[in-house]
Amino acid sequence: MKDIDRKGLTITRRAVTAAALAMPFVPGKGRAASAEPVKIGWLPSLTGPLATAAIGFDHGVRFGVEETNKAGGIDGRPIELVSRDTGSDPTNAVNLAQQLVFTGKVNFVAGPVNSGESLATVPIIARAGIPNLVTGAVEELINPVKYPLAFRVVNTTTQWISVANDYGIKQLGKKKIAIVGDTTGYGTSSAKLAVDMVKAMGADVVYMVLIDPNKTDLTDEISKARDSGAEALMVWTAASGLAARLLNTRGDLGWNVPIIGHPVLGAPSIQQLLNKPSYWDNTITIGYQSMSFGPDGKLPERTQKLIDAIRPQLGGGPIQFNFWWIALGYDIIQVINYAVRTAKSTDPAEIKKVLNRKKDFPGVFAQYTWTETNHNGVPDSSMAANLANSFKDGCYKLAPR
Amino acid sequence: MLSVILSGIALGAIYSSVALVYNLTYATSRVLSITAGFTFMIGGVLGAYFIDIAGLPPILGFLATLAAGAVLGLAIEFIAVRRVLGRSDQHLWLLSTLAFSTIIQQIVALTWGTEPRRFPRLFKQDFGGLLDQKYWLPIGAVLLVAAMLELFLRRTIIGKLFVAVSDDTQAAIARGIPVNAVRAASYALAGMVGSLTGFAAGQLTFAYFALGFMLTLNGFIALAIGGLGSTAGALTGGMLLGLLTAFATHFFGGAFQNSISTGLLIILLLARPQGLFGVRGARMV
Repeated sequence: MKDIDRKGLTITRRAVTAAALAMPFVPGKGRAASAEPVKIGWLPSLTGPLATAAIGFDHGVRFGVEETNKAGGIDGRPIELVSRDTGSDPTNAVNLAQQLVFTGKVNFVAGPVNSGESLATVPIIARAGIPNLVTGAVEELINPVKYPLAFRVVNTTTQWISVANDYGIKQLGKKKIAIVGDTTGYGTSSAKLAVDMVKAMGADVVYMVLIDPNKTDLTDEISKARDSGAEALMVWTAASGLAARLLNTRGDLGWNVPIIGHPVLGAPSIQQLLNKPSYWDNTITIGYQSMSFGPDGKLPERTQKLIDAIRPQLGGGPIQFNFWWIALGYDIIQVINYAVRTAKSTDPAEIKKVLNRKKDFPGVFAQYTWTETNHNGVPDSSMAANLANSFKDGCYKLAPR
Repeated sequence: MLSVILSGIALGAIYSSVALVYNLTYATSRVLSITAGFTFMIGGVLGAYFIDIAGLPPILGFLATLAAGAVLGLAIEFIAVRRVLGRSDQHLWLLSTLAFSTIIQQIVALTWGTEPRRFPRLFKQDFGGLLDQKYWLPIGAVLLVAAMLELFLRRTIIGKLFVAVSDDTQAAIARGIPVNAVRAASYALAGMVGSLTGFAAGQLTFAYFALGFMLTLNGFIALAIGGLGSTAGALTGGMLLGLLTAFATHFFGGAFQNSISTGLLIILLLARPQGLFGVRGARMV
């Protein structure tokens, strides 16, 4: 892991230097008078319990920077990535965000990559008047009045829950739902939101429980869910250990109801934690159209193109983690590239104007649209229900409709 | 309800084992080492590594894990305890063992990864049910370890040296007992106990880098309930805490699990500061 990070850093530094040296030889194309770099502050949690997804995001961000700099930068300005590892700790994230915006003088901040850290940093970055590309899913992170420079590039929690409810209640016809969340801030708020949304769709929440993500045995909880008459389990946790234990307990009890929920249910790390491979059957993970194989077995063109381009940097073999993390990281750099080129500056007010009226920006992860009153960039049409056990090359098959 | 009780006892066995590790290190150094839960975590991670990745048969994987636990114990004593005790009477060991624990956790995170990983099945048995080995292995392991520790401390010369150093270090030095070597031996034994029970409970906990601090805290609560220095206290405290946690979760939900266990600690410390099996020490005046 360390080698990869170090390697990534070296590549980026080399790329920045190479791009700067190459500037005089880059033909015309509206190069800015000075080649002052566009400084992007990047706050991934490369270590700590939330590192896995962040490492994926980091690959995408670094690849986007390298590609942009190789092509001559943004209107002749190289991107300088100022990356700081938050260690999955919101307190660290706050300190590092302050350092980036006040002493680092960055033009943009991307991340942190999870909601817990983002809740702490978004207000700080907003106060500093720096555009912030937000990759946390909880609703409170986005508010165009309070945080006018915060633009979300990932879906919201509500979108995840909507897709799960739509699949479980409308598609599968299940009317008695058990909801499981974990005791973290994310799990608690998502589970409560899920209860309201399930009821609003006319189904019954027959059992709801919050579980410590490190709880070693879930027989009690799953037995209660079964005894309540639940026809489906909806799971809202980002902890792969808890998700695996839920699947194992359902399997050990021989209770074959569908489990639907958070993308972690389909994470490849789950597979090796399962008592039996068949315990992953009848499990639906919420994902994205852009990361789903179509009926022809093919991925969308933009996704396949990025996979082919980045695969050599990931070792050349099959991609072993969720590709949407990489795609989203890559898109962050493309969005910044677009915003600076269109605004012809890094002035936050100009960047805001550009992004506030951007419709259908063609990213790899999604087709983003932001307006003055809605800074949630990912449309509902980007979401999908996937078969959890169909993981291949970082992507999934669509769940049957 | 049987599953709740069994789950609580298995969890209690894990807490008891960490309390036993505390007891062993405290006996010869008067140090409540923060590394207690980390020796357990290392047992799970190394067991999974030796069997699943290095391809050793389970028995060899188990022995290799024990050996690694002993080496870790010695390293903790030599790096984080011996020098600190030699230079200061203050409780600086709290910081040094905390720092050592953080280093262990970071090394495991960087080399093993931050996601939980599977621990191999040790005996052929179908999954599920109250007889599943994932419950009985940690329970059996901690009972066996506790019994052997009692025999060791009461019936062997080295065990009696532990007790002597624990009772009066200065007198032990005066009688020519090599206190440093005895202390190192107790830390090596503590490392073995932690890694043994971590290995035995691996199917329940998974091989996961982040277990250390949680177990260090809950092991301490178990120790405080049972009473410092008592093997029976460590067992009883751990089992009580495990059962209470399981029942609290069953009746009130997971959100209250930690509040109830730490609340219990406060009540017990107020009512019986020496714990259930501890002896109130006389204060020299």
